[in-house]
Amino acid sequence: MTSDSRIWRQLKKNRAGLAGLLIVAVFFLLAAGVWTGILGQDWSDAGGGRWEPPGKEFWFGTNLLGQDIFQRSIYSVRTAFEVGMVVSIFSTVLGAVLGSLAGWYSDSWIDHAILWLKGVLDSIPFYLFVAAVAYALQGQDWAMHIAMIATFWTTTGRLVRAEVMKIKSREFVLSARAIGLPDLLILSRHVLPNTLHILLIQTTIAFVAAIKTEVILSFLGLGVHDGVSWGLMLAESTQEVLAGHFSNFLAASLMLFALLMGFNLFSDALQDAYDPKQAAI
Amino acid sequence: MTCWGKLGPVTPLIKSLLLLCLSIASMAMLPGCNNRSESEEAAPPATVYRHSMDGAPSSLDPAQASSIYANFLAVNLYDTLYRYKYLARPYELEPNLADGLPEVSADGLIYTMHLKPGVHFIDDPAFPEGRGRAVRAEDFVYSIKRQFDPATRAQGAWLWQGRIVGLDEWKENGSDYQQEVPGLKALDDRTLQIQLVSPFPQLTHTLTQGFSAVVPREAVDHYGQEFAIHPVGSGPYRLQTFNSASAVLVRNSRFRQEPFSLSAEGFDAVSQGHLGLEQLEGKAPPLMDRIEIEFVAEDAARWNSFIAGELDFIKVPVSQFDQVLENRDPPDLNATLAENYHLIANLESGFVHTDFNMDDPRIGYHPDPDRNTRNHALRCAIIEAFDWRKRNEIFYYGIGYVFDGIIPPAAPEFDLQKHHVPVARDLEKARNLLSDHGWNAENLPVIEYGFTSSVTERQMFEQLRSFLGEIGYPQEKVKPLTFATYGDYARAYLNREVMLMTIGWTMDYPDAENTVQLFYGPNASPGSNTANYNNSRFNQLYRESSGMQPSAGRTAIYREMNQIVIDDCATISGVSRRLILLWNRDLAALPDRSFVGGFFFRFVAPRGQSGAAQAAE
Repeated sequence: MTSDSRIWRQLKKNRAGLAGLLIVAVFFLLAAGVWTGILGQDWSDAGGGRWEPPGKEFWFGTNLLGQDIFQRSIYSVRTAFEVGMVVSIFSTVLGAVLGSLAGWYSDSWIDHAILWLKGVLDSIPFYLFVAAVAYALQGQDWAMHIAMIATFWTTTGRLVRAEVMKIKSREFVLSARAIGLPDLLILSRHVLPNTLHILLIQTTIAFVAAIKTEVILSFLGLGVHDGVSWGLMLAESTQEVLAGHFSNFLAASLMLFALLMGFNLFSDALQDAYDPKQAAI
Repeated sequence: MTCWGKLGPVTPLIKSLLLLCLSIASMAMLPGCNNRSESEEAAPPATVYRHSMDGAPSSLDPAQASSIYANFLAVNLYDTLYRYKYLARPYELEPNLADGLPEVSADGLIYTMHLKPGVHFIDDPAFPEGRGRAVRAEDFVYSIKRQFDPATRAQGAWLWQGRIVGLDEWKENGSDYQQEVPGLKALDDRTLQIQLVSPFPQLTHTLTQGFSAVVPREAVDHYGQEFAIHPVGSGPYRLQTFNSASAVLVRNSRFRQEPFSLSAEGFDAVSQGHLGLEQLEGKAPPLMDRIEIEFVAEDAARWNSFIAGELDFIKVPVSQFDQVLENRDPPDLNATLAENYHLIANLESGFVHTDFNMDDPRIGYHPDPDRNTRNHALRCAIIEAFDWRKRNEIFYYGIGYVFDGIIPPAAPEFDLQKHHVPVARDLEKARNLLSDHGWNAENLPVIEYGFTSSVTERQMFEQLRSFLGEIGYPQEKVKPLTFATYGDYARAYLNREVMLMTIGWTMDYPDAENTVQLFYGPNASPGSNTANYNNSRFNQLYRESSGMQPSAGRTAIYREMNQIVIDDCATISGVSRRLILLWNRDLAALPDRSFVGGFFFRFVAPRGQSGAAQAAE
């Protein structure tokens, strides 16, 4: 039995994981609907009355401006996926590159420099650092993404470094070195592919973290500049809840909860599937 | 026992410690009870007024009294020469530290004022033997000079910049306090003389500002930087404690005794008869022993404290208007709250307007006459598309006062006849303006709307974008330009980097000069003319009117200037917000957030016997 089929079999056995995957798939379809212009395109129209209750016309009601909360919730799925994908992919790639370099050249100046950088970034309280970077780069559309990528790569880098240090003493790597293959070729062709399970799991974890962080930053006014996100909806709801209107709050927090739960269930299942101890059971 | 139960399991050691503390506390209290004199037992409890503010002052130095919060405190801790009558509406000037209104020379250039006799600063270690000395005219001269001294980093110099003979030169020559300013003299201990460069009829109004409050030099020298938190003034109150969450003021027992006069303060029995103010007649302010001010920026927290009875006054957050008001027009308190509170719905002394940056060739002045005309049409179309009814309804609960132009209702020069009809949008006209001048979705310029990153500001932007969408302005061409802080935002628009900006202007005095100057060409950014508007006819009229005393002729000129700005489509204006103020029925008071502002603290009294009745007893 191949490794891939074993992992898929493990995944299929995990009902919670499958449920998570299904939830993520549904949200992805919603995001795709927004990307293709089928869904959520009227998120900024203020055609309704102020704080209309849920009904036939406005399924989730309207906000202070009379905007359709359902449309805004759906459009926010796109925002969440965009941020999640950009941040998780770039931070994983950065973590993989720096982690593998540190691991391959362990105990050299390259390793020390990367470890020092990682140590410095890890020593700053996370949200404080992200908020500071987002604040410093304010006005830039990608400020929030850069802030998150700059901090999210460190965990991936640490895990990849350890794995590369382990792999580099394996026989197939020693053989590659013996026949004179250049370091970068060995790293990219033989070492990094063997860290794929770490990268895959870290990508899902970074995805979830990015969505959560985006919501927090947008809530604080440091996140999404032009558009809508669950964080902005929650920020709006702070004033609405006072006046007894909960639609914005419920829509944004329930959507966020569902997507994060889905991702977490899937991520846990993925970790279990890749875990050799689980495979032995 | 219940208390112990709530605390959960308590160890015997903690119990013993608590009992020990209670015993010590009881023993400490006993001698106090035994020694209390007859007179102390008979003394009435201190009267306290608990005020709330939605922001906090960062300094108590009058030189920094730029915010409404700092100004409220400055005019209570210090004295200004003038104030506004407590109850008169429209607002009227009233001497405060000055002994009468100024004597003005025939050419309007020399103002002579006398100080009231027997006014003293509070006792403070800054003075010899800690005894506050008499306030002298020289103190006023020193206080105004401080505003021009770069070392003070004062924020009020703009009030007198270029106005008083020799003052700007005094600053340029190194701000030497020994050097006299020809236009700012103390003729004797109680007589002041100000000589103006050119007539400035608003001078007396500027002397009501916290910026003009009189400070003693000894205290400034004694406390240095700490002067910001060690106020030493001659106002009705003195500071007891101050921090970022609260300030406590206590009665200044040496404050001059000036019996309150209803008629002198402009009492109107019809509109104010229900407030219990008649009882103030004959009493000498300040009428409360203690003022406790809570600085609570968070609306929910402030409202909850008020409803819990922890505060006597609140400016009601807009989010609570639904809960508070029974009717909107006129605003009327709901029955439950009306049992305990009074309500007043005041128009703010200012207005909110959204300016086009006329210095930006994409939408403002353009060297090419054709494009200049098209830009004018574009601005006018945007103004026509702006739905003031909806803006008012959503953000000001529909009770703001919408008007066109730059003279708000709080100004005596406001034209009620012309502006009594609400400003209505005209989408058809807006679309025609665009199409007639060759604008279409493809060639319309990208509009950048600047604002600070707050929920309300963002919602205002989104609303504007939806208004523009209705005249065919593509959504992607209306972009937000966000700033983390107001400081960043202000820096950007003062550097002329913001294309469209919303400004809230609070008038410094009830005179339309204070708002028309916002569009005077030479005041362009970094001055107060943030629209960078520059119309030669407007500028000429401004210069013409600047030396005129209030009169029908001057009002006509202001109104013409107002119309010029409207015709040039330089600003989307405007709305004066209505402030809903609630206060405890147990108080005899008329709170104010406008020109009277902090001056009303001294007149707040517990509702009870009238002064006349007390005198009769």
